[in-house]
Amino acid sequence: MSKVLEIKNLKAKIGDKEILKGLNLNLEEGKVHAIMGPNGAGKSTLSKAIVGHYDVEVTDGEIIYKGKNIVDEEPEERALEGIFLSFQNPVEIPGVNNAYFLRTAVNARRKHLGLPELNAAEFLREMRAKVEELGMKKELINRSLNEGFSGGEKKRNEILQMMMLQPDVVILDEIDSGLDIDALRAVSEGINKSKDGKRSFLVITHYSRILDYIKPDYIHVLKDGKIVKTAGPELVAQLEKEGYGSFEEN
Amino acid sequence: MKLEILNALDGASILKELGANAKKSTAASALAKIKVPHKKSEKYRYFDIEPLVSKDWTVFHPESQEVQSKGKKIVFQDGILANRGDIEGVSVELGDFSDIDGAHFDGLYYLSHLLAKKTVIIRCSKDASFEIEHNFSQSNVLINYRVAIFVDANTHCQIYESFKGEAEGSFVLGGYDIFAARDASLKFIKSHTLEASGYTPVWSSRYKVDSNAFFKLSSFDFAKSNGLNIFKAELKEGANFDASHLLYGTNKAKCGIVSEIEHEGKSSVSSQNAKSILDNGARGIFDALIRVQNSAKWTKAHQNSKAVLLEKGAYMASKPQLEIYIDDLEASHGSTTGQLDEQALFYMRSRGIKEEDAKKMLILAFAHEVVATVDDEYLANKIYAEFERVYYGYYELDCLKTCENCQDTTTGL
Ligand SMILES: Nc1ncnc2c1ncn2[C@@H]1O[C@H](COP(=O)(O)OP(=O)(O)O)[C@@H](O)[C@H]1O
Ligand SMILES: [Mg+2]
Repeated sequence: MSKVLEIKNLKAKIGDKEILKGLNLNLEEGKVHAIMGPNGAGKSTLSKAIVGHYDVEVTDGEIIYKGKNIVDEEPEERALEGIFLSFQNPVEIPGVNNAYFLRTAVNARRKHLGLPELNAAEFLREMRAKVEELGMKKELINRSLNEGFSGGEKKRNEILQMMMLQPDVVILDEIDSGLDIDALRAVSEGINKSKDGKRSFLVITHYSRILDYIKPDYIHVLKDGKIVKTAGPELVAQLEKEGYGSFEEN
Repeated sequence: MKLEILNALDGASILKELGANAKKSTAASALAKIKVPHKKSEKYRYFDIEPLVSKDWTVFHPESQEVQSKGKKIVFQDGILANRGDIEGVSVELGDFSDIDGAHFDGLYYLSHLLAKKTVIIRCSKDASFEIEHNFSQSNVLINYRVAIFVDANTHCQIYESFKGEAEGSFVLGGYDIFAARDASLKFIKSHTLEASGYTPVWSSRYKVDSNAFFKLSSFDFAKSNGLNIFKAELKEGANFDASHLLYGTNKAKCGIVSEIEHEGKSSVSSQNAKSILDNGARGIFDALIRVQNSAKWTKAHQNSKAVLLEKGAYMASKPQLEIYIDDLEASHGSTTGQLDEQALFYMRSRGIKEEDAKKMLILAFAHEVVATVDDEYLANKIYAEFERVYYGYYELDCLKTCENCQDTTTGL
């Protein structure tokens, strides 16, 4: 099975505090990996390290994506190459039109891939279709990016971006937080439809509910800055029963 | 002529020195008291006023010329009325102006009235929408002129003010006395681009907003060189004054607003919002006072300044002030100066948008909020396009590389 992302002995700090302490993780092409772990374990820090967030300083180790260490790459280069993070808390950007923003991003990616750019009409047609699929309000297309969106609307907007950008690796950080059951269904459907046998998913959660909707192939337990256990989906039931307490580094 | 010599004189001597009409003796005494400003004057600390006061100026006095009367535009050429336009319900005359403010805070307001032999008096007696265009072509002179605008009771007007020409090395002194009578409304929209090798304008104005009148001021200053707007607004009972200012400064320009808003009457409302984008050593000025007098119960006064500094050498002198002599009111003021939102930038980059492009999108968004206060869509688009021209102009080299993107930005979706 080919590995699309290999994280080797990753150590990372936020401020002076070491959060990731030699983390190893492999993502396989076309598979759904779930990372579970208690609050504060370093899950969001891992996702930020992968996309190159300025909060996180990688002090050691490698993140090999499509055969290349990307630790020193700019966030936009990683994105253009096909890494996408759905943020736990997407930011609101007043004055930047949602559709205009997404079209700029989509065309940047298309250009990078050597595809022709979409004109406004082509783009809007596609965006409207996806907005409908996700059960989003149409008016959100022409609002400022995430401004005044409810928690659920923000998360749907993240998935909308994912569907339009067609990345190769999708990281979903607590995608289910703040979602009611309808939104959860719509969002998971969007994600499940985006599975194409090649795209890989990293579903980050501290709560197993989302895994009823998005079926994982692998479960990884992240605790105290390291992956302490990797197993099949059967691990979810055990985690639910016993919590994270019983997992120590193996 | 050096203007600083006036500071040694009393009112009568100032009148004589400037050859001004005796009717302006109150203005002369006021100037003798307040003085011609110099670099340490309170209101001019952040601006470079020295060239105006210490240089030996040639004051521009053109031959009298014929005034045209055609089109929907009032046109000034180097401070001279060139076209009064042909606008229904709007009369434009050269005359003696007798309503000079007795209590303006600014010496240049008086100086400019004293230097102006005549005032261009615009009277709006019917609803109208028109443009005032200022052209400048004379280099290295001092140009001074005054315009008075009367909007009659119950009359609703929109005035768009535009500027053309460079007039290198000149100083333009001038300003408005605007009277919005009872129940009148005036939307005054000013868009001024100051080119790097142009004249330096200092406008000193007075706005009087009568009972239940509405005055909406939207000013857009895109500055590659120095310029200052000074105004005092007086609000009578139930008057509403709504001012929005967008400033883009670059190329070491010192530019901005010095203002005082006086709430005189009950239930008067003011709101003043300034946004400044400063790059390449520019200095933005927002020195703005709102004073609520004890006669102005149930006033609402809100004031805010937001500035974005695009590089380390840029600076914002933001001084919002509230002076309140009464309890029964609603008031707020605030001021923030900072860089572009780091989180927003990162979010955009994480979707594959280059850092430079993400910055531009955030800046245009910041500016757009002020442009959106102009409800005339045609003008709003025109002003936004002008901002983009000046702003992108600075990044010309970048632009050449991504030309088709620039075009996209102009048209939006
Ligand atoms: N911006 C930050 N500044 C300082 N500490 C942080 C910051 N973000 C996260 N942390 C700390 O890093 C640790 C891991 O956080 P995080 O990766 O968000 O955990 P998780 O997503 O697993 O709940 C926590 O102890 C948290 O307090
Ligand atoms: Mg988290």
